[in-house]
Amino acid sequence: MRVEYINPFVESAYNILTEVLKVEVQRGELYLKNAAMPMLGVAAIIGLAGDVEGRVLFDMTRETGIKVASGMLTSMDMDPVEDLNEMARATLTELANMITGQAVTKLHNLGFKFDLTPPAIFTGENMSVSDSNFEALIVPMDLPMGKIEINVAIRERA
Amino acid sequence: MKTKQDFPSINQKEALGKGPDGRAIRVLIVDDSMFVTKQIGQILTSEGFEVVASAADGQEGLEKYKELYPNVDLVTMDITMPRMDGVSALEKIMEFDNKACVVMISALGKQDLVKKSLLLGARNYIVKPLDRTKVLERITASIR
Repeated sequence: MRVEYINPFVESAYNILTEVLKVEVQRGELYLKNAAMPMLGVAAIIGLAGDVEGRVLFDMTRETGIKVASGMLTSMDMDPVEDLNEMARATLTELANMITGQAVTKLHNLGFKFDLTPPAIFTGENMSVSDSNFEALIVPMDLPMGKIEINVAIRERA
Repeated sequence: MKTKQDFPSINQKEALGKGPDGRAIRVLIVDDSMFVTKQIGQILTSEGFEVVASAADGQEGLEKYKELYPNVDLVTMDITMPRMDGVSALEKIMEFDNKACVVMISALGKQDLVKKSLLLGARNYIVKPLDRTKVLERITASIR
């Protein structure tokens, strides 16, 4: 997978998380996965289709999900959430929207044309994700609330 | 001795959400994201606006507008929504009431749809992610 595809996601995730949650964000070491990989518990997934195709996953534990949603809500003067309820899921969806929105604008400016699907939120225990004939690049982001893994699998359409 | 008058009061500033007659400006929020609906609602009510209703898609937004009319002063309209998108809902609202004050809420990278909305009669637009200053600035500019 070309690094041009992943950098905009990493930059936007860093910018949006820092800006919205008002916390320090550390970017971890990037790694590549081919086989099925375990997921942490809560994931927002966004599909891409066009000149490039694939998907982006924002993966975190349930506990981190609740903390991140609460952090985003309180930074905007709204009440935090106690559980992964409808409001928490809507908040994480919006966070994924913000990050992909900014990343996609960067990719469009580089000349890649494609559309996005609205984010879907997955929750559950012992889930794993596999992409046939796709390599996935994972960028961990460390926050005081826990870790968010940005998992990008994109390729050029044949 | 210092009196109360020596201290600035946070209440001195006119609430942005009051019309010239002192009545709260009535808002309909149309957005499929519960988060965004709540965020806009929170920002507006803190400035004295009154959120009279919200709708989760364009079709519902159009129906609520017709139901509330003429007791609604402002609509915030998301662009990307299921069932009926914001641009179509805007078009139908403008057909029904050509004086409607509609402000579009757009994701990044939807310039063409924003342009189309402005041609169809939207008063203004706000690009997400939303923040307090941007929302209040654009909304007060569009109701004047």
